[in-house]
Amino acid sequence: MKLLYKELALAAHPTSIVFAFLGCLVIVPAYPYTVIFMFGCLAPYLTFQYARETNDLWYTALLPVTKKESVHGKYMLIISIQLCQLLIAVPSVFLRKTLAVENNPVGIDATLAWFGFGLMIYGIFDLVFFPAYYKNGYQAGKAFVMAAIPMLLMMVAVEGAVHIPQLAWLDSDALPDLMRQIPVLLTGILCYGCFITLAYKISVKRFENVDL
Amino acid sequence: MNDLLRVEHLNKHYPGFALNDVSFSVKPGRIMGLIGKNGAGKSTTLKSILNMVRPESGTVTMLDKDFYGHEKECKQDIGVVFGGIDFYPLKKLSAITAVTRRFYQNWDQERYNDYLRQFSLDERKQFRSLSNGMKVKYLLALALSHHAALYILDEPTSGLDPVSRDEILHIFTRIVRDGNRSVLFSTHITSDLDRCADDITYIKNGRVLKSADRETFLHSFDHLRTDRDRNPLSLEEIMLRTERSDSDETAL
Repeated sequence: MKLLYKELALAAHPTSIVFAFLGCLVIVPAYPYTVIFMFGCLAPYLTFQYARETNDLWYTALLPVTKKESVHGKYMLIISIQLCQLLIAVPSVFLRKTLAVENNPVGIDATLAWFGFGLMIYGIFDLVFFPAYYKNGYQAGKAFVMAAIPMLLMMVAVEGAVHIPQLAWLDSDALPDLMRQIPVLLTGILCYGCFITLAYKISVKRFENVDL
Repeated sequence: MNDLLRVEHLNKHYPGFALNDVSFSVKPGRIMGLIGKNGAGKSTTLKSILNMVRPESGTVTMLDKDFYGHEKECKQDIGVVFGGIDFYPLKKLSAITAVTRRFYQNWDQERYNDYLRQFSLDERKQFRSLSNGMKVKYLLALALSHHAALYILDEPTSGLDPVSRDEILHIFTRIVRDGNRSVLFSTHITSDLDRCADDITYIKNGRVLKSADRETFLHSFDHLRTDRDRNPLSLEEIMLRTERSDSDETAL
């Protein structure tokens, strides 16, 4: 927990903390909700860019921690931001129901499938971004561009899918449709868990060979 | 008592520069100066010792432990300062300290407060608002407040005024007074070494030219003396003549 405290107190870019609360955007009546995930992917980019400017890797290297733990701290921060975003979206979905906001006309609604796709988007982004960054520990921009390509393609695919009549159930909050969406959510959880673990292992291996 | 730090056969190759077979040791109660001109490999040596740069071969034994195998434990017992590096410029000193102290089992808040007073540091200030000298003093205060046995400092006196330099060198002598703790610091300011170093390691082009106690070190360069030299060579003269003769040979 000291590592997470250090990340929150010193290393995290303030804007990336704000992004953690943007799950509440699902209350907005008409909005492309996958953009919320883009904020969750911008958070690591901003934080790593900020870390470079503030010599965060140097400071951490002088503390009694290993390079592996240095990577671990960053992962805890980013996972916390991304999951916090999804957790905040949960009560926001119920609030939206209470307020009787109509179905989102722009694209996918905040359904179980949306949560599942969100976890997939995060997982794929993190799998590309983290190992690319930890190759040298300073090229956050390049890592973001590389990871943003699959992220954007997935966002477009998810938003577009619900306009296809055969896939309209992804956009529905009727109970039978929600039941059909459960496998999507489970696949998302599995993808996120697997991809983040794989990304962590590759990142540690790469960062241990980086010369500061 | 065993050496607090033993560096053996460190090798690291970069395009255009290499650290070759660097070996030396630091005994308890001693101040060792790591000297060499800019780009000689002083910082790379210190970074390799601390695993910030991954050496291709070699061993580092710190407090009787293999540093690379026990990095976390070893770091609890060392204080490290790298001069010229700005950490979290927008953060207040109090915020940086609040995080740093959590990582050390032997953090001594009273001692830290004493150093703040001694160095006239105001914790409410942002790191960026400190002068270079005050930044080094703050980092020293952090390094000195967890009862470390070994202090590793890279160019701690560069860019400081004579009064601040004197103050810091005086702290070094106080640290080693009990005979259990040691200081290893790199510098290219030879007068710093004249003032406080017990041992000197001279690095030239990534190789250790000589590592010995100060007397032995000075005598080992007697071959550089000329007929006009009535007194033993100073450290500055040794460095100038060694580096100059090398550049003359290159020019020829």
